Amino acid sequence: MHQVRGVIAIVLSVACVWATTVDAAELAAPDLAIEQAIDQYIQARLTERQVQPAPIADDCTLVRRTTLDLQGRIPTIAEAQTYVQSNEPDKRLKLVERLLASADFAYQFRNQLDTLLMGGQKGNHNEFREYLLKSVRQNRHWDQMFRDMLIGNEDDPEVKAATTFVRVRARELDELTNETSTVFFGVNVSCAKCHDHPLVDDWKQDHYFGLASFFQRTYVTKKNNLAEKFSGEVKFKTTKGVDKVAKMMFLTGTTVDEPVVEVSADERKKQDEDVKKQMQDDKAGPAPKPPFSPREKLVEVALQPGNDQFFARAIVNRVWAMYLGRGLVHPLDQMHSGNPASHPELLDWLSRDLIQHQFDLQRLVRGIVLSQAYARTSEWSESTEPPAPDLFAVALVRPLSPRQYSMSLRLASSNPEAYKPEVGGEEWQKRRDELERNSEGFANQFELPGENFQVGVDEALLFSNNAQFVDDYARDSQDRLVGAIKQQTDRTTQITTAYWAALTRAPSTDEIAACNQYLEKRTEPVAGLRQMVWALLTSPELRFNH
Amino acid sequence: MSRQNFCGSAEHGVSRRTFFGTTMFAGATAFAANMRVMDALKNPCLASELKRQQKSVILLWLGGGASQFETWDPKPGRPTGGPFRAISTDTPSVQISELLPKMAQRLKTTAIIRSLNTRNADHGGGTRLMECGRAVEQAVDYPDLGALIARELGRADSQVPDYVSMYSETEGRHKGGPGFLGARYAPTFLTESMIPPNIRRPESIPEVDHQERADLQKLLAKRFAEKRYNASVASHGMAYERVRGIMASETLFDINQEPQSARDFYGPTQFQEQCLIARRLVEAGVPFVKVARAWWDSHGQNFETHLELCADLDQGMSALLDDLKQRGLLDSTLVITLAEFGRTPGINASLGRDHFASAWSCTLSGCGIKGGSVYGKTDPDGHKVEDGEMKAGDLFATIFAALGVDYKKEYHLGARPIPIVDFGCKPVPEILA
Repeated sequence: MHQVRGVIAIVLSVACVWATTVDAAELAAPDLAIEQAIDQYIQARLTERQVQPAPIADDCTLVRRTTLDLQGRIPTIAEAQTYVQSNEPDKRLKLVERLLASADFAYQFRNQLDTLLMGGQKGNHNEFREYLLKSVRQNRHWDQMFRDMLIGNEDDPEVKAATTFVRVRARELDELTNETSTVFFGVNVSCAKCHDHPLVDDWKQDHYFGLASFFQRTYVTKKNNLAEKFSGEVKFKTTKGVDKVAKMMFLTGTTVDEPVVEVSADERKKQDEDVKKQMQDDKAGPAPKPPFSPREKLVEVALQPGNDQFFARAIVNRVWAMYLGRGLVHPLDQMHSGNPASHPELLDWLSRDLIQHQFDLQRLVRGIVLSQAYARTSEWSESTEPPAPDLFAVALVRPLSPRQYSMSLRLASSNPEAYKPEVGGEEWQKRRDELERNSEGFANQFELPGENFQVGVDEALLFSNNAQFVDDYARDSQDRLVGAIKQQTDRTTQITTAYWAALTRAPSTDEIAACNQYLEKRTEPVAGLRQMVWALLTSPELRFNH
Repeated sequence: MSRQNFCGSAEHGVSRRTFFGTTMFAGATAFAANMRVMDALKNPCLASELKRQQKSVILLWLGGGASQFETWDPKPGRPTGGPFRAISTDTPSVQISELLPKMAQRLKTTAIIRSLNTRNADHGGGTRLMECGRAVEQAVDYPDLGALIARELGRADSQVPDYVSMYSETEGRHKGGPGFLGARYAPTFLTESMIPPNIRRPESIPEVDHQERADLQKLLAKRFAEKRYNASVASHGMAYERVRGIMASETLFDINQEPQSARDFYGPTQFQEQCLIARRLVEAGVPFVKVARAWWDSHGQNFETHLELCADLDQGMSALLDDLKQRGLLDSTLVITLAEFGRTPGINASLGRDHFASAWSCTLSGCGIKGGSVYGKTDPDGHKVEDGEMKAGDLFATIFAALGVDYKKEYHLGARPIPIVDFGCKPVPEILA
């Protein structure tokens, strides 16, 4: 009873989101560059709140941050120094364009989408990851990917892989409904248990079960193909205890009517038997395709002009959060009137822009990382308290994903000569693929960072005492950083190289002194270098994107 | 400009000021600036006094589901009662199964709850329910009891682990975890080995270097953390700061450190040895220790199973309570004996009892508990609760109340308030001291 009531409360607020969208005529001009629109809206609120934002980060920080975000790894020394030493006025623009065009971007953006779509799922789903990688490489637009993932095509192996999203959730109607809604529409329909609004109208219950109705007929065949039944409805009890059959209904209230087709009892029986056979027999032929597909209808309705606000706003908010550390609406799955956006007009502007550009996510990414809001330093040097995070006045520090961390540790601990001169070209794609695969094992030891991420003591113990880690990353063989710097004769050079490799910057005088002092005391010089490198590899400065 | 606290709670306005005071008193530590943020976001507000009292919880987890009939709620002579007798205890008018003779003499430390109705008789679901105190909901990754206690009773800079879970048997083995509270409160999970992973210094680095290397790391990290007011960054520093202390706690897990007399006192079984480890941990300040004893899932041969397992439980639990009492720790340690559910009144054809979550029992002993009390009542055959029905959340509320933790408190997940116990759940004052 309680649960049902909760579900309805959220639908109530969902309905309100619609009403709070800003009138298009009041928005800034549509032909503004994305980064300009962002900075205009962010600045407007800072001015209103009388907050002076933190300055733009230095070159070292920016090249590291942007490379981590767009390539999923720290830059090599060569890449970083090229950027830092460049005097070109538009070097940041060029950096972003280079990174977006690189082989690495496809891997990184794929990994981000994979986390978004399959983050909570166990087991491997390599075909799905391959589908995502190809899609990013082709810049397949988000609405098209949505179609692929929700409708798919079981006869086309590439698109079949896309439906993994539905297939792994198909056995749990609630999970499939909730997670589709959460990921694609930014609305978590199961979350309202704590909203204490007992005011319930029956039609709102219709909303929740209406969304579930689009998935009710979905099933997985014995051969692990996705299919839909010919018939089937969601039945539920209203809060007043009345039994009802749900109507297929999108979050905005748009309903879908199934065309009435006369089916004889015999035909119906045969259809049911066919479906039963599909579910039980791994030798059954291709699953019969009913003339009416509710999942197809959901995609159609969700992408209808007007209705597509949910779809657009949800992904804009998620992409924003990938690069800025929190959503314009936060938490990301709570897009309802009780939880308004920090910058409602900006969210609307970006959503409109995304729709107008056919859901081209890479265009959105480019605009976000070119904004000033993205480029601020994460240090707060004022004596006042740091501004609220939803002002985006100072960059938010973000934990690296397990893959980013694993790959960055590999790069940082490698002999810098191995990644010189600049990486790139065809050869690099192979190496990058290798790096991606080799990092997997280590990455699997870490949990995906969620909200309020914390480093646990287990991680610190692993890095401190696991012989495998210490012996591998801080090895003094030729292919490793320690192996490289032990050949260098001057201690300051050794320290400087280690800093550039691990932290993408030169050490300060104090840091050189501290490392020097440490190395001075060691009776075994190479052991000393290994320990110094360990101290840099385990630094929070490497652990986070800052 | 109205000041916005990270979690949106007005409560922090107070606690942060309080914390500034302590920080200054403690001197300028490397992470002082971030500990401030740490406090605002992560640490229980105004809980310092509670923590000073060093309260702890030991959870004896009866994995698979122990039978209430053969333990705390016997029904001798009834069709559902099985072959065992009920015996008198040190508490007049309270009888328990004859399979727990030692506990029968120690009920003055213990409250029996006979009226759990938790409605989930599935191992996985029941376990999550009794671990988290609420039904699992997809939208929220709830912390389990161990993580909640670690957070409420642990110290941020604790030099010992604050959530240790020993689960040697494979039945129902489940790590559980901190959910949205974050990895800071994740359990040290021990299965095959009773030595936590990565707790020993590798041979490749001498002791002095290990220490000084950590000091160097801390010094270098300081610059980074100083001006970044971020709880995740602070947690990194905290985690590394705790490494040396956790390493020093390795001996706590080694019962060879105990005299033979103490080991004899607890007994030789794995469960009994782990009860002893639990006492060692609690004594050293670990706020939450779980000792799992599995194989209670007696669908067949229920009575033989309980004859054997109850003897193990009776000895381990009573030795633990005696030892805690002798050491003056029982007043500050709450011992919970709990499973994911109980077992059916009906006895099946294999002389087994099946899963049953409608009317079952658990016990609470020690800290904050009114010893010798019995709460709730089942009908004469144990089919249903007749009086004092309790849900998982009521049990959790009672546990928090016994420890002096405000059971009405809320965490904030973004804008969303999450109460520490499930909606509408309340403690049972009748069994609280």
